[in-house]
Amino acid sequence: MSRRPLEIGLAAAGATFLIAVPWLIPALIDTFWVSIITEILIWSLFASSVNLLFGYVGLLSFGQALYFGFGMYGTALGIDHLGLSFWPAFGLGIVSAMAMALVSGVFAVRLTWHYFAIITVVFSLIFYFLAVSMKPLTGGDDGINFALPPVFKFGGKAFGLVDPTFQYFFVLVVVSLCLFLMHRVINSTLGRGFLAIRDNDLRASLIGLNVYVLRLIAFVMAGFLAGVSGALFAFFGRYASASYMFYQVSGEAVVWTIVGGAGTLFGPLVGTALFIVIREIVSSHWEHHSLLVGLLAILAVIFAPKGIVGLWNGWVTRLDERHAAALASPRLMLQADP
Amino acid sequence: MKDTVLLLAMNGLIWGLIIALIALGLSVIFGLLDIINIAHGDFFMVGTVLAWFSLSVTGDFWIGFVAAPLIGFILGAIIQRLVIQPIHGVAALSIVATFGLSLILQEVVRITFGATPHRILAPIQGTVPLFGVEYDIYRLLAALVALLALAGFFLFLQYTKLGIWMRAVRHDREIAVAMGIPAKRVYVLTFGIGFALAAFGGAVAAPITTVDFRGGVDVLPFCFMAVIIGGLGNLPGTVAAAVLLAFLEGLIQSVADPTAARISSLVLMSAVLLLRPQGLFKGFTR
Repeated sequence: MSRRPLEIGLAAAGATFLIAVPWLIPALIDTFWVSIITEILIWSLFASSVNLLFGYVGLLSFGQALYFGFGMYGTALGIDHLGLSFWPAFGLGIVSAMAMALVSGVFAVRLTWHYFAIITVVFSLIFYFLAVSMKPLTGGDDGINFALPPVFKFGGKAFGLVDPTFQYFFVLVVVSLCLFLMHRVINSTLGRGFLAIRDNDLRASLIGLNVYVLRLIAFVMAGFLAGVSGALFAFFGRYASASYMFYQVSGEAVVWTIVGGAGTLFGPLVGTALFIVIREIVSSHWEHHSLLVGLLAILAVIFAPKGIVGLWNGWVTRLDERHAAALASPRLMLQADP
Repeated sequence: MKDTVLLLAMNGLIWGLIIALIALGLSVIFGLLDIINIAHGDFFMVGTVLAWFSLSVTGDFWIGFVAAPLIGFILGAIIQRLVIQPIHGVAALSIVATFGLSLILQEVVRITFGATPHRILAPIQGTVPLFGVEYDIYRLLAALVALLALAGFFLFLQYTKLGIWMRAVRHDREIAVAMGIPAKRVYVLTFGIGFALAAFGGAVAAPITTVDFRGGVDVLPFCFMAVIIGGLGNLPGTVAAAVLLAFLEGLIQSVADPTAARISSLVLMSAVLLLRPQGLFKGFTR
């Protein structure tokens, strides 16, 4: 089997599974798992924001939780303090995350590599401590709760995320749209510029690319992805908390991305799903499940340094080459024979 | 008022000296192996726990001062061989690997030591008058021990064979290997020394802070700050930055709350990163 049919088949199977989740999962396991899969989708979007920066532009951000937190608080405060309805609150969350990304990006993308990793974590720590100390506004580590407004009204009937099936599909659609958008960006001229900078920023600047501006654009885009996931998570949990802005949240997204496969569109989804499924399965039976998570992270980087999707790609490419070689060799023999 | 300022400044200074030990370990590992060690705070935490265990097993606090760095060194060497060596110094992978390591260390301590924080009573009770303030004797002793350990480490780096090897491999790996320096063994020992420094800092700090399986989480950002502000790979700069930062935080804490102090040092660090990414002290040392 060659590469394309195999991957199209896999993608079709994955899409069918995701659409069937609200009926399949309660029938097979438990309704509870529908909400786990919803959570996986949200967190994988968050991991995608790390992936966009690290996998495609070569900037390792250790502070994406800041923009996740801004998306979360923008939405929660919009509903709780300003009395906004669903969509304006969603928008406020995303816009505040992007604005924050723009402001910090102006400074952060001047630096690269280790310095970039450190300054992103420093920025996120500053706002984490601010959020913790501004308890009247943010609720600190305890966070703030809010009541969900309906998503839209149709014919006098209100549709809201209170219905788990509707919530699942809402998250699925938003996450798919964001990933599709990311896919389009990566395959555009802009995306080629990103890749050129990732591979060699000096050469990229020599062929006339404005490295600083391109990095800033990528940073704001990553802020958008993190902001959307933060807003979704606020809707999902009906609350926002400063604890989600701590550096360990950013760190988890980095781990999920690299274990899943940085620089691949679905790597973060695979990595996130793996870790959250393990956490959910093991933690109910065994209190010390972090041991397993830690061990898995270490084994993954030793045995699959390009991530799970990277491992898969390598495997399929080898299969492809063998296939091509098998096709090519008899023809060569025919040509050699007069 | 003047007394509180002095007290907090003194506390900051002493905490800075202990942090300097830990940050030095981080800096050595980073400078030589190019490993961003997310687990370094947990190396410190393991040191505090080792101090607690040696006190509860032998009844003698001071044994911890020997046991913590020794066990830390052995653990560090084993970890380097099993976890760090296979990833060949790829910094992105090192973050994931040491993140996993951090989870494992915290969980092992939670299983063996328990989830509840403990306090260790300082082995020397009592205070001495100092600049008009009654000051804990143990804290002064901790500062002295930290200073001695720092001096000892720099002497080790300057005059012993291993110390010279470490500097040589850091300076130019290829040439060092060509000259017959066993770089792989130097890496193993360096990681061990990095862990030992953090664990020793933990043992010294144990009676000052609490012993808790999450005790490393707060220490880690502080150590990174010291390493960056001091300049990556600049060891004396790291020490100076750690002391300076903790001293400043102590001073600010006397007029504002600890969170404000932490925020101001973070802002200071952003400024250093943007304006002087080589560190605050480039041109002064080395």
